[in-house]
Amino acid sequence: MHLQKLFFRNFRNFEKVDLQMEKGLTLLWGDNAQGKTNFLEAVFFLANLKSFRNSKNRDIIRWGESCCHISGDIMFQPCCKKVEVGVEKTGKSVRLNGKPVKSGRDYFGLFKTVLFSPEELNLVKGGPAGRRSLLDRAVFLADPDFLERVKKYDNYLKNRNRLLKEKRFRDELEVWTEGFLENGVRLRKDRITYLREFTPELKKNYREIAGTAENVDILYPGSEKGDEELGKDLREDLKKTREKERDLGYTLVGPHWDDPLFLVDGRPLRIFGSQGQKRSFLMAFKITQIQAIEAKTGKTPVLLLDDMASELDSFRQLNFFRFLSSREGQVFMTTTDKQQLARCGVSPSRSFQVCAGTLEEVKYERL
Amino acid sequence: MLNSISYFAKLVAELAKFPGVGQKTATRLAFFILTQPQEEAEALADTIRDLKRKVHFCPICFQMTESDPCQICADPRRDRNLLCIVEEPQDVLAIERSHAFKGQYHVLHGALSPLDGVGPEDLKIAELEERLQAGEIKEILIATNFSVKGETTALYLARLIKPRGLRVTRLAHGIPLGSDLEYIDQGTVGRAIEGRQEF
Ligand SMILES: [Zn+2]
Repeated sequence: MHLQKLFFRNFRNFEKVDLQMEKGLTLLWGDNAQGKTNFLEAVFFLANLKSFRNSKNRDIIRWGESCCHISGDIMFQPCCKKVEVGVEKTGKSVRLNGKPVKSGRDYFGLFKTVLFSPEELNLVKGGPAGRRSLLDRAVFLADPDFLERVKKYDNYLKNRNRLLKEKRFRDELEVWTEGFLENGVRLRKDRITYLREFTPELKKNYREIAGTAENVDILYPGSEKGDEELGKDLREDLKKTREKERDLGYTLVGPHWDDPLFLVDGRPLRIFGSQGQKRSFLMAFKITQIQAIEAKTGKTPVLLLDDMASELDSFRQLNFFRFLSSREGQVFMTTTDKQQLARCGVSPSRSFQVCAGTLEEVKYERL
Repeated sequence: MLNSISYFAKLVAELAKFPGVGQKTATRLAFFILTQPQEEAEALADTIRDLKRKVHFCPICFQMTESDPCQICADPRRDRNLLCIVEEPQDVLAIERSHAFKGQYHVLHGALSPLDGVGPEDLKIAELEERLQAGEIKEILIATNFSVKGETTALYLARLIKPRGLRVTRLAHGIPLGSDLEYIDQGTVGRAIEGRQEF
């Protein structure tokens, strides 16, 4: 699976991009704030119908324009599918082979991307919300239906919170609580099931990337428990917080508060890990995600690497690029420092200089 | 006195109040009406007036009707032991198209939705309880939508009704999750009714 053609208009600072693409590595280099990350964001948007920067529709539309378009031809041997996304300030429309797509379910499985970005490193370094978000993105990538289940849970949660806030505690609250419980347990199960297969591979990949015998782990609360027990626990926790949630006016327990702990040698990575360990963890996390998709679908996702080279020391870089070059798939990578990539023996099949929202193709030898 | 431009603007403003109709569509519709022959446009105006004068909600089931009570409530051939609860009047039409249901209806006029400020007191639930009180109804088929709101409303109703010792059933799944009854084909609605399950 790879992008054969990529087109976008009025996306961020780009007026128009229209490119034939190839498999292998496409390098985008240039100074900061020229649009390198925006390019990756456009590819990400095409696959996920949202930005990785938590942006609103109006933020991605070029200044002074009312809408933007992204489209791509995605090659699945032996045929090609055309995907198109139009974004206006108030909404977006999606087409697959010219026909409108009504549900994400029909779309998300098609074209998968894995992103590596400095923003995600901040998620590893930060609080539980970021770790949940990294984990949820990974589960979604493996199972696009997960998004629907997250939305459903969120819907029950928000309605329930509204009742608590308005102090409507009667029979009505009970039925919203039932839906909250059922879907909350489902969400926890989804995450736990995913991690059960994911974590052993993560450990292996971490050791390879970091070149150490350190042991990393992801500990999800309640992961050792069965379905029935998970259900009982959440019900129990809800009972315990009954007075307090009525006081404060919102739900105090549930998967939206869970903290998946990232550990190195049994201690929280966030507090006790070195910079290098955190970076290796994220690398290993992503590599494991890619391998899981490959094992499941037989296809390599499109990789989007935003300025990751600068985040790694030379040892980790080498290991990382060794992993990348053993892939069949398509990689888009941005950098400000092309020499550094050359030293790692990176040889892109195409390279572009990005300058103030324009692309210029450059021969690699001249880099 | 309104001049010609403001007559037009007034119609656009009225049409733009319709659900799902924005300023742009409203303008297009108003322009369409303007270019219609006089009789056509007047027929439309008459139809709207007649609708408001003659159609109202049935005092028993709250379906829209021109007679009082509605044809279904008045029909002696319909099974009075069996009651189907739906969210909207359109859902009655969808189920009637399937010809798979021979009982009577109760239209809630909505579904529970705290985020939209809709609670049990905003639905025709007190009226439903009154109907059940009469004692003729033996089985309730809950046919609210398969959305978060619809499912929660179904659960609410089931908990309300079951203590009365009535049989409570729910449409079989097989209707796509999250979809409105109104948009499902007759065959699927028919199968969902036949395959209804105990709640
Ligand atoms: Zn009636």
